[in-house]
Amino acid sequence: MKSVLATLALTTALTLPGLAMARPVTLTAQLNNYGGDGAYLALYVTDPQGAYVGSLWMAGGKSKYYKHLTDWYRFTGGDTAQINGITGASVGAGRSLKISLDLADALFDAGYTLHIDAAVENMRESPNEIAVPLTTAGAGAAVSGRRYISNFTYDM
Amino acid sequence: MKKTLILLAASTAFTASVGLPARSATPKSLDSGASVVIAAPFKDAGGAPAIVLASDDKDHGWFRRLFDREDDDDDDDDGCDDDKRHGDDDDNCRGSARNPTPAGTVAPPKNGLFGTGTPPTVQVN
Repeated sequence: MKSVLATLALTTALTLPGLAMARPVTLTAQLNNYGGDGAYLALYVTDPQGAYVGSLWMAGGKSKYYKHLTDWYRFTGGDTAQINGITGASVGAGRSLKISLDLADALFDAGYTLHIDAAVENMRESPNEIAVPLTTAGAGAAVSGRRYISNFTYDM
Repeated sequence: MKKTLILLAASTAFTASVGLPARSATPKSLDSGASVVIAAPFKDAGGAPAIVLASDDKDHGWFRRLFDREDDDDDDDDGCDDDKRHGDDDDNCRGSARNPTPAGTVAPPKNGLFGTGTPPTVQVN
């Protein structure tokens, strides 16, 4: 019995720091009624120096269109390994995209920026449609997009 | 007896009419002078023997190759249409080497952003 309790205490002690290193975040993007096909959206993070860190989500599954997400494409070269397992359907005009995920705690209040590139078939590309610093103070504050996204928020 | 001979002759004639053109399509028969006439339809304009395959993974059989030169298929073997002629713009083009793996089928990339490695959940309203 004692050994079971000791094991339980040890595993709890090992698990807790891991949980503390991530926080649940909800990202919500409300799209405008721009009157076109579904929008391709690339959500990714850059570090304080502006260098690409990684992708959080790709809305739109056909890689042949990724070159129109120009900033994301410039960072990644269109490498689909960056978005395997985090890719879903494109988002229609007027719809909202809500993503729930556990983000690494180290990303907040450390100079990291969340970006969204947007593109719609037969319409203008919109790199850096959203660029919002990841801060605890900025959580819940709506940010306006440039062309296709009406507003974007991240909640913790 | 007569009946047997007639049947034998008929089957021989049938075999010859089917078998000789097929044999002439092989490179060996192209090299021999005797079957050049029969093999002629299988040669291309440059005189080189045309390789005729019963099927491969790119085309649709030798009948298609010989008689249907208009190739309007999307032959990149990714299961996707590369243009809009067929009118589909859905995201059902899965399993291709070029497209990313959809969410829910593999773990997210280990890029340091996903704290616990739990895949994101998404809702579109």
